[in-house]
Amino acid sequence: MFKCTINGHEVEVPEGASVIEAFKLLKEDIAHYCWHPGLSIAGVCRLCMVQIDDGPRLHIACNTLVKDGMKITNQTEVVKEAVRWGMDFHLINHPLDCPICDQAGECGLQEQYMKYGQYDSSMAEKKVKKRKVVDLGERVVLDSERCILCSRCVRFTDEVTKTNELGIFNRGDHSEIGTFEDQPLDNKYSLNTVDICPVGALTSKDFRFQQRVWYLKDTDSICTGCSTGCSIKVYHNKEGLFRVKPVFNEKVNGHWMCDEGRDLYKHVNAPVRLKQILKSVGNEWFPLGLERALDHLNEAFSKAENISVLITAQHTVEEYKALKNWAQQLQDKTINFVYWKNNPESFDSFDGLLIRGDKNPNTKGLLEAGFEFADASVLDSSDLVLAPMPENPAVYPKYMEKLEQLSKLQTQLCLLSVSNITQHETINFADGTLAIPMKTAFEKAGHFINHQGLTQKIHKGRVIVKAALGLDELLQAIKIGKWIQPQLLKSRKTNESSKVSGELW
Amino acid sequence: MNEYIPQADKEFILKELKRYETPISALIPSLFCIQKRHGWVPAEAVKELSLLSDLPESRINEVLNFYTMFNKKPVGQLHVQVCCNVSCAMNGGRELAKHICETYKVGFEQVSPCGTVTVSPVECLGACDKAPMMQVGQAYYEDLTNESALEVLEKLAFEKAKVSAHV
Ligand code: SF4
Ligand code: SF4
Ligand code: FES
Ligand code: FES
Repeated sequence: MFKCTINGHEVEVPEGASVIEAFKLLKEDIAHYCWHPGLSIAGVCRLCMVQIDDGPRLHIACNTLVKDGMKITNQTEVVKEAVRWGMDFHLINHPLDCPICDQAGECGLQEQYMKYGQYDSSMAEKKVKKRKVVDLGERVVLDSERCILCSRCVRFTDEVTKTNELGIFNRGDHSEIGTFEDQPLDNKYSLNTVDICPVGALTSKDFRFQQRVWYLKDTDSICTGCSTGCSIKVYHNKEGLFRVKPVFNEKVNGHWMCDEGRDLYKHVNAPVRLKQILKSVGNEWFPLGLERALDHLNEAFSKAENISVLITAQHTVEEYKALKNWAQQLQDKTINFVYWKNNPESFDSFDGLLIRGDKNPNTKGLLEAGFEFADASVLDSSDLVLAPMPENPAVYPKYMEKLEQLSKLQTQLCLLSVSNITQHETINFADGTLAIPMKTAFEKAGHFINHQGLTQKIHKGRVIVKAALGLDELLQAIKIGKWIQPQLLKSRKTNESSKVSGELW
Repeated sequence: MNEYIPQADKEFILKELKRYETPISALIPSLFCIQKRHGWVPAEAVKELSLLSDLPESRINEVLNFYTMFNKKPVGQLHVQVCCNVSCAMNGGRELAKHICETYKVGFEQVSPCGTVTVSPVECLGACDKAPMMQVGQAYYEDLTNESALEVLEKLAFEKAKVSAHV
């Protein structure tokens, strides 16, 4: 055995061991590309440079054998300089497009670069160091060194939101984006600055480092956050939805959208969703296949004398039409439609830019569908309430209270819900209540009519919950039930089958 | 309110604001007025100026940060700006700046422990023929040596102390 010292630590190695093996034994860091413990020695990458004793020249660790008493180091400036130059030579002809290289993230060259790279470019002047990972408030992060000072973000807060938070401070190459006294950038449209920043200087806290954008597909849609109905693109892959960005629409939102609208994708993703049909029996929920659920529903609908539909303006024009048709088929029943607004006090408010107090994408569509609405008090005397719930119950604070009240009255509910309502802590749903997973606007196609009466199309994007139904699909299924032969179902054109379904009750 | 911009300054600033086509043009005289009062421009004064002029704080901050003549943090009783540009540097300006720092035991841009000076190395002040030179407050002191510069500073510091003793 030979004793040697590596970066000040003593180690014993068997005779014939190379210096690099001694480094590895000690788990000391040493750069190397060509050396591999399972292969012969090549000594060509010249990166494993070490200094031995006070020798005048550097040695490569992979092709130098340890001798007893050797003092070896790779921590001196001379060694580091040599490794740095070695890196430089390796990079002369190497492309500098790591982001599109498949090895990125586990590449030896990248790893060495992180340790020895010359972060400063070869320009004679020193690079000005600026602030990194600056917290610009609730939603935005700034990396000043990446900013190219185009001033788009400054002009956005000056001209669009008129909140004037951002400015370019200092002068010349010390110029930097910032806010006065580092106050937060907390206007309701702040993420637009991230969209318009041409580089990686402003990034979204919600999205940064979540996904590489080239792994995302996008679907055109309409924001369901309020009756403005901004044109958007939704970005998704098989793991779910990741972000929402505005699409230029001269008639509606121009180039922008609000920050809240960008959060709406979150309730679409799987963890928060209701994934199968559940039936409540004795305060517990049991899964039900569609077939049995339809049986149950048909029975419930035929028994019920007084049926109410608690509707919000969160569904498509097509769904309202289906609802209207369905009701017309049930002539022998009383069906009351109750139109539930999210928040009557702020319903008509408008912030002057985009955000409206009417938190529904299709209020006009609902009103134009020609329903006759009853007073909400009819709900209390109903024995069955069909409740296609708002997608985002958070903007309907009183809605859940109403469901709780009805459940206390032992009213049977047929809930069509995006979120997993069965997890609700305080509501004890009446026996026979059904919770059916509902499609979100991102999972179905159709039309919304916005506050100005503009009919806009939404496209079917990625389906996150396979079992989810649209309101129209549910009604269709109820209408057809199991009485209709499957082939009839397929060849069905328009109203034929609805006649048949009229006899169901 | 009005803690950082007292009534007299406020009147001056309001007059300046009326003088130009746009309020932003009045920023430099307004900021100088604030600096004259405090020796530097505190953030609270910017906030007050923002209310007074109806200009966003970030706009004022842009101007404030652009010019080195505005002090963004407190300075000593004497703000000593030593020219370190070509002519002065050739005649020992940089050494002079360092010498003053060492004497008052202070680094550049800081307030000396005694509170007397803040030394800033600056670019050409247009008195190259009398290099090396320094500016203290509004006044130029030229053809300096290490000794003559310190003499000037001691005298000025003494006068300041006398004035504040009177007050
Ligand atoms: S938009 Fe981006 S690059 Fe342009 S000034 Fe703002 S932070 Fe810098
Ligand atoms: S303004 Fe309304 S429609 Fe537009 S993004 Fe915001 S919530 Fe969505
Ligand atoms: S100067 Fe033309 S785009 Fe910037
Ligand atoms: S170089 Fe010092 S005044 Fe010009």
